[in-house]
Amino acid sequence: MEANGIENLTNPNQEREFIRRHHKHELVDNQCSSTLVKHINAPVHIVWSLVRRFDQPQKYKPFISRCVVKGNMEIGTVREVDVKSGLPATRSTERLELLDDNEHILSIRIVGGDHRLKNYSSIISLHPETIEGRIGTLVIESFVVDVPEGNTKDETCYFVEALIKCNLKSLADISERLAVQDTTESRV
Amino acid sequence: MAEICYENETMMIETTATVVKKATTTTRRRERSSSQAARRRRMEIRRFKFVSGEQEPVFVDGDLQRRRRRESTVAASTSTVFYETAKEVVVLCESLSSTVVALPDPEAYPKYGVASVCGRRREMEDAVAVHPFFSRHQTEYSSTGFHYCGVYDGHGCSHVAMKCRERLHELVREEFEADADWEKSMARSFTRMDMEVVALNADGAAKCRCELQRPDCDAVGSTAVVSVLTPEKIIVANCGDSRAVLCRNGKAIALSSDHKPDRPDELDRIQAAGGRVIYWDGPRVLGVLAMSRAIGDNYLKPYVISRPEVTVTDRANGDDFLILASDGLWDVVSNETACSVVRMCLRGKVNGQVSSSPEREMTGVGAGNVVVGGGDLPDKACEEASLLLTRLALARQSSDNVSVVVVDLRRDT
Repeated sequence: MEANGIENLTNPNQEREFIRRHHKHELVDNQCSSTLVKHINAPVHIVWSLVRRFDQPQKYKPFISRCVVKGNMEIGTVREVDVKSGLPATRSTERLELLDDNEHILSIRIVGGDHRLKNYSSIISLHPETIEGRIGTLVIESFVVDVPEGNTKDETCYFVEALIKCNLKSLADISERLAVQDTTESRV
Repeated sequence: MAEICYENETMMIETTATVVKKATTTTRRRERSSSQAARRRRMEIRRFKFVSGEQEPVFVDGDLQRRRRRESTVAASTSTVFYETAKEVVVLCESLSSTVVALPDPEAYPKYGVASVCGRRREMEDAVAVHPFFSRHQTEYSSTGFHYCGVYDGHGCSHVAMKCRERLHELVREEFEADADWEKSMARSFTRMDMEVVALNADGAAKCRCELQRPDCDAVGSTAVVSVLTPEKIIVANCGDSRAVLCRNGKAIALSSDHKPDRPDELDRIQAAGGRVIYWDGPRVLGVLAMSRAIGDNYLKPYVISRPEVTVTDRANGDDFLILASDGLWDVVSNETACSVVRMCLRGKVNGQVSSSPEREMTGVGAGNVVVGGGDLPDKACEEASLLLTRLALARQSSDNVSVVVVDLRRDT
């Protein structure tokens, strides 16, 4: 009880420290940036197994229908993403900027496509935490992007945040389902 | 001829030149006589066929065409617009395959035609359902049949639209038999359809290509525009941005209103629910979805709802026909133009004016995926009318799936 209390008290500070260390974006004029946080009831290794798949983002991202990667999974690799119909884009070209299996950090940059997200860069980091006494994962995703002509910074952030929230909710749902399966299998 | 060949070569060499060349062609076209213009028009369509073989040029060209048409529509007089459309239609008619023959129809059997084409999308996500006599009703005078037709334009994947095609007419019948109030029974059946679809997604039982990647399909939905024809009334229920248009005494009457997020009452409803409409390639709910109502799309509730808007229209002697179609048609063809095209086809049934020639294959992207007719007894003229509308939409660079149902409402007796 006391231990939980202490951890809860330190959590906001931990989040700020993680953001300060891993989520620096250098903004120029007419760009906007934001950071989102998601608590997932699943261990880091399960969540990371989904996040690190630069070649298969559709494993947890609901708006992606297909992804093709040319080359190996290394810095500079580019993927061609097909976006599902109904959205304001049909494809996106994205470059792998960072993949850290020790610190659980993935960073990508959008370098092409038929959408309006220019100079988009994002970082997603995973951090172990305890949620009500059980092992969980703190997910932090941040981005920076140009504000397109005709839109405001507020609108642009709102739109990108809406997409990321969907991605993170899906990541949580799938990770927690996998965690339950893991537990079931380990009992047998 | 040499000039034409040269143009073709130029198009093969440079994408950019294609756009420039088209602008030049447009200028040159105005200087020619109508017969030459018709011939040029045929070449234009052939050129579209070539261009549509490449993904990128189509988009570039489509943008230019769309922009130009929008500008010309504003500037041109009504008669000019109609004349241009008539020429397009004459050219497209020549590609229809057979002479239209009036067939004796069974008494009271509905006359309809269906056409559905993938177009320039990667996937076909539209679905169409036509169910003659889907509900029978005994009155004190006679036993009559109600007829059902529906167009469902899916997005994100096809399985929601496919499920609507399989189930929605059954739900409408059940709800109407339970309570003979069209407004209420349509609202209940759409709500039940939405709940079935959401449950299907949650169970991971959608059995579509989504399943290959992940079980959740929250980001999949469909429009639904539905019509029930009774001897006395035309009932339309609409959810999304497909549309139903009645042609009465030669005039287009919209029986549905598109659910776009910037429609004032829809915008108010979304904001009152805590949502937001952002203009991102058009007005979109949260900047994401370009319609304010849909079946499915659970992730956007409560901003995107599945409640239909229902109209009940008394039938009249002047009723010509009914068109139900997805926005792949309506985005590039006005209600009035669509009615003019269909009237031409149906009138041809009477006096045989519509000429025919062996069907020339449109071999461009999507054109080969044309699906014509339903399982039951579609009417030849209606079938050709619906096919012609899909062709017109493709010729006008529609970038979406196109699905069309045409129902002949004229009373022959």
